[in-house]
Amino acid sequence: MVSLRGGDEALHSAFAQLDLDPRNGRLVALKTKEEVRAALETFEAHVVELPARYAGVLKDVIQTALPDLKTADFQHLRRVAQWKFLPPRLQKQFKSPRGDDESFCEDDNAELEDTVRYFLVCPTTAISKATLQDILRRNPPFMDRDRDPRIFHVEVPALAPTSPEQAAQWSLKYWPISYKNTNPYGPHPSLVARNTAEIEAHAGKWLSLADSVAQLLHALSLGERVGCVIVDNNGERQEIIAVAGDCRWRSSSGAAEPHQGPGNVMAHAVERAIAMAAKKRLRAAGKDPDLLDRKLFCDWPLTDLEKQFYEQDNILPNGYLCVDLDIYITHEPCVMCSMAILHSRFKRCVFAQRMPMTGGLTADAVATKVDKGIGWTSSLGQGIFWRPSELNWKLLAWEWIEEDAKDSTNDCMNTTGNSDTLHA
Amino acid sequence: MSWCGCYPAASPVAVTLRKLVHVAVGSGSYRKGPALYAQQTAFLHQIQPSGTLEDEQTCQASTADHEPGAMNAEDRVYHERFMREAINMAELALVSDETPVGCVFVKDGEIIGRGMNETNRTLNGTRHAEFVAIAGILSKHPVSIFKETDLYVTVEPCVMCASMLRQYGIRAVYFGCWNERFGGTGGVLNIHSDPSVDKPYPVTGGIFREEAILLLRKFYVQENEKAPEPKQKRTRELKTEIMPMDLHAPKQCA
Repeated sequence: MVSLRGGDEALHSAFAQLDLDPRNGRLVALKTKEEVRAALETFEAHVVELPARYAGVLKDVIQTALPDLKTADFQHLRRVAQWKFLPPRLQKQFKSPRGDDESFCEDDNAELEDTVRYFLVCPTTAISKATLQDILRRNPPFMDRDRDPRIFHVEVPALAPTSPEQAAQWSLKYWPISYKNTNPYGPHPSLVARNTAEIEAHAGKWLSLADSVAQLLHALSLGERVGCVIVDNNGERQEIIAVAGDCRWRSSSGAAEPHQGPGNVMAHAVERAIAMAAKKRLRAAGKDPDLLDRKLFCDWPLTDLEKQFYEQDNILPNGYLCVDLDIYITHEPCVMCSMAILHSRFKRCVFAQRMPMTGGLTADAVATKVDKGIGWTSSLGQGIFWRPSELNWKLLAWEWIEEDAKDSTNDCMNTTGNSDTLHA
Repeated sequence: MSWCGCYPAASPVAVTLRKLVHVAVGSGSYRKGPALYAQQTAFLHQIQPSGTLEDEQTCQASTADHEPGAMNAEDRVYHERFMREAINMAELALVSDETPVGCVFVKDGEIIGRGMNETNRTLNGTRHAEFVAIAGILSKHPVSIFKETDLYVTVEPCVMCASMLRQYGIRAVYFGCWNERFGGTGGVLNIHSDPSVDKPYPVTGGIFREEAILLLRKFYVQENEKAPEPKQKRTRELKTEIMPMDLHAPKQCA
């Protein structure tokens, strides 16, 4: 078989010889656990209506009254908003009772909208409405008026948005939001964009290869239809380091076992592929790869396809674990395999099929097709790829969305015939 | 969240184990008596294949069963016997230039498998002691043996091993010190008890905790040639003072 070295052209021809069609789709970066939390958490805030020119005065008044208020905690929320930039829901709520209100302006509505502002004071937990009203009444512009200042309670996102799309969406739903091009809860948007661009063109090929090795072992009744490919894709370099399928139903004697219980959990595709990459490292270091060998790990090639890549001496010497390598998997890996990927310090991870009941990478719920319309499927919520405050390594992770799917929702129903409760 | 101290009825030490001190998982409270052992019990819920959450009706132990601070001397001897064997495996790892973590699997009072960390020699970051021991066990026994098997390991299982043990259906896990970087049974995450399609398992930590910590510290003052950009290890000193347990409490419970 032809070597897969030498850039794109050689790679394409080698891939062609494998007789595999690249899968057609795109990559969607996974949300981190913190991003998911940020997207869901809201708090209630006091909002005060006042003439535009008094906004500065009110800011000072609030600062004096609440010296401990940390405005940095909600600096993603516009402090002062014009009526025209409010979400339609708030426009309706704020405007309706003003028909007979003469508190600020006797002119027509258009001018009123121009001169009135809505000031986001603070979370309602910081001060009661009554106390706030008291403070307002002792200060301009409310001190000389008969009517009470208008104070509204508005639900707002508690944490900063992680993308411009989310900021726009929240501005329509909650309150005008400002987006700074950062992501405190996950990888920086530019890092994700750069890496997506780097791997997107070839991801369909690696997934197709993972599909085919999964199919081979499944056909032998040795494993579930789960496969995985480890790739060294850095700059010009494109090397397939390991290809492995699941073989949990292979007994210690090598025969296929009845498919009952969990099978040999250690023979999941990801564990096998990582072990094969490690053996190639041992070989590259001039050591015996079969040292400490234990057959229950199933960490040697079981099919010709696996063997073809296992035998290539294409792993860079002096590397450490799977640093700078990428891993492609037909299914979202289980919690064990997700952590094995993190332990091995991979650079990037792509999986095709979500596993909401067993997968360890995703942190969010996802829209799925159900019998009638679209339903929401939860995930375990583990997000074991980017939890820097808890786990010691971060990797970038994507979900593969098949392009020829008829509608845009991710079809979580079984496309591979695997059970929902399968641990990939 | 409420907690329970249920153990499988098949356990030879089921009744007396209830006398262990309990730590509520994820409740924010951390109750600890003067006992040697702290325990974290299984989460009450299990995702059924239908996707619904159901209480495990078997978990009905009440606090009245507990005598804080008292672990039956007989049970202590039983558990310490096997943790001593696990420590022996960790010591073997240390002299082999491996991270000193060791374990034994016990069924009906007999050790059916031993393991030690082999990540350095295999260049494989997943070759933890639990994997090594299970590779040996499954060459002789069916997977179903884990339903009646307990694990004794010197360091709390990591997230990966915690999930593997749950998938295999381990009956119970006993460990020495908490794993504050990767712990999967209370140290960092709660993989043993989080919602899952697999049955949760009870865990008990703190058995020979100081010895387990000292073994790790001995390792970190040794050279580790495999790690990239090693820090100045020659200047490191072996610290022998170990902080009291409440300072090393699991992050989730502290």
